[in-house]
Amino acid sequence: MSDERLQLPPKPKPSLFAIGVWVLVVVFTVITARRVGFSFSGIIEDLQRPNPVLDGLWNIRWGEMFSERSRKAFVETLQMAVLGTTGGVIVSLPLALWSTEVGNPYVVPRVILRSINNVIRSIPDLLWAGLFVLGVGIGALSGLLALFFFSLAVMTKLTADTLDGIDMGPIEAADAAGASHSQMLRTAVVPQILPAFSSYALYDFELNLRASAVLGLVGAGGIGNRLDFFRNRGQWDKLWGLVFMFFLVVFIVEWVSVRIRRRLV
Amino acid sequence: MSSPTNSASARIQLPSKPRDTFKLVLSTVFVVLIGWSLVSVDLKWSRLLDAPADMWNLFGVMFDEFPWTSEERTRMIGLMWDSIAMAWIGTIIAAVFAVPLSFLAAENLVGRPIAWVTRQVFNILRAVPEVILALLFVPVFGLSPMAGVLAIGVGSLGSLGKLFYEIIENVQKGPIEAADAVGASSVQRLRWGVVPQVAPELTSFLLYRFEINIRASAVLGIVGAGGIGGALVDAIRFQEYDQAGLALVVVILGTIAVDTVSGAIRKRIVAGRAVEVGGPDDPMLAVSPGAALLAQEPSR
Repeated sequence: MSDERLQLPPKPKPSLFAIGVWVLVVVFTVITARRVGFSFSGIIEDLQRPNPVLDGLWNIRWGEMFSERSRKAFVETLQMAVLGTTGGVIVSLPLALWSTEVGNPYVVPRVILRSINNVIRSIPDLLWAGLFVLGVGIGALSGLLALFFFSLAVMTKLTADTLDGIDMGPIEAADAAGASHSQMLRTAVVPQILPAFSSYALYDFELNLRASAVLGLVGAGGIGNRLDFFRNRGQWDKLWGLVFMFFLVVFIVEWVSVRIRRRLV
Repeated sequence: MSSPTNSASARIQLPSKPRDTFKLVLSTVFVVLIGWSLVSVDLKWSRLLDAPADMWNLFGVMFDEFPWTSEERTRMIGLMWDSIAMAWIGTIIAAVFAVPLSFLAAENLVGRPIAWVTRQVFNILRAVPEVILALLFVPVFGLSPMAGVLAIGVGSLGSLGKLFYEIIENVQKGPIEAADAVGASSVQRLRWGVVPQVAPELTSFLLYRFEINIRASAVLGIVGAGGIGGALVDAIRFQEYDQAGLALVVVILGTIAVDTVSGAIRKRIVAGRAVEVGGPDDPMLAVSPGAALLAQEPSR
């Protein structure tokens, strides 16, 4: 045996990409921190001043959870979420099929559909609501339409991603048995994605319920209207009551939904 | 059609279709819920028929002054840049605070009761929409981007914390033991045993959260927390349709641009650098002759 020392393997050099990302992160953080005027001392200073919001929290009005108007607003929020989700879910299935290779053999319409969906998805739900309030007017209809488009985009994207990964076996079997295109979709594609699809639909409902609470801030109905009302009058005690009510509803819905989703998938 | 050759035997009975009571009940509940909403919701459905025409008219007046003036464009892009900056700083703040908090939520580090409490805090934070947080922060921090930054930071804390503790609980023991075996200090153990395991997933989720936060921060201005949402809500209030149109276009383009860059980086992080087996970058070949000899020994 030679006495030669074992040579250590050379250290792997950090990749250019990793260095680039780190430099980018640091530079971006510095620039954006300046842009928003970030300062810790400023935050502390602000927190030391008298704080009407926190005062409201200490004197919270639990009664606001059960007042007639709040109950009505909550029911409206729930209805908007239910209807917006239903509409979005129904329309998203064919759209998702048309935007994937299994459902649509033509490249050009597929690409167009996906791009349109990306544009729809890049608009936040409150912005949708604002647009519909401008075009259609104040009220639950604007909120409903906003939730519809938002759901449509989310559901189509999630479903299309699932469709990209399905098992091709049943499709070949359907083709071999002489199924037409729609028969193939009905018997070989849809049953495969149905459990995931229903689970997405419930998830979408949770998202919509959360979103529909704030749509009223731009005049699109639901408890957002009440939140806006209390905010403008500085009645933070009542606003907190409403916020806690909202928590309660969201938690219950999420608890139920998670359990159903677990059984579905 | 019954086949004559088989006439002796009774008709083959199909097995009865499987019945799923759970799904049946579930569907009934949903149908009832949807039906009730349809009937009782307080709106005129006839207005839905006018909606397409109304929206068409709206788009007409929104894009009336299509290229807009250059100062209007500069102003709106500046506001969108505010929104992007708010989203980024908010994400970074959330990440900084989520790391220590997530240790308190990992069952393998602290006891079950503490972990449970911390997780409930994360859950509550995850449930509040950022806009409501901003609405509560504006009276405290003023009509400034700082209110928006903090709303986004607090709002993201829940989901980042949840992801972090899940990662911590799933760290593989192998690399840590290996680091211990070669005598690593606790910092070195963290640096070489833990960080390489979690870094890619963590960075990629951080970027993903940033993409989500852009959408949130674009609307925070509605309650006065800075960014492009303020311009939009003003346009709605004063019915300046052309300004609303410009804001819309800027939001869409800005969001898609950030999504594209961030998505490309995420993809690259998760995929890692493609290493050709046996190629110049293959780490298996970048070892000393002695090590290569050791490698050739038959393993027991």
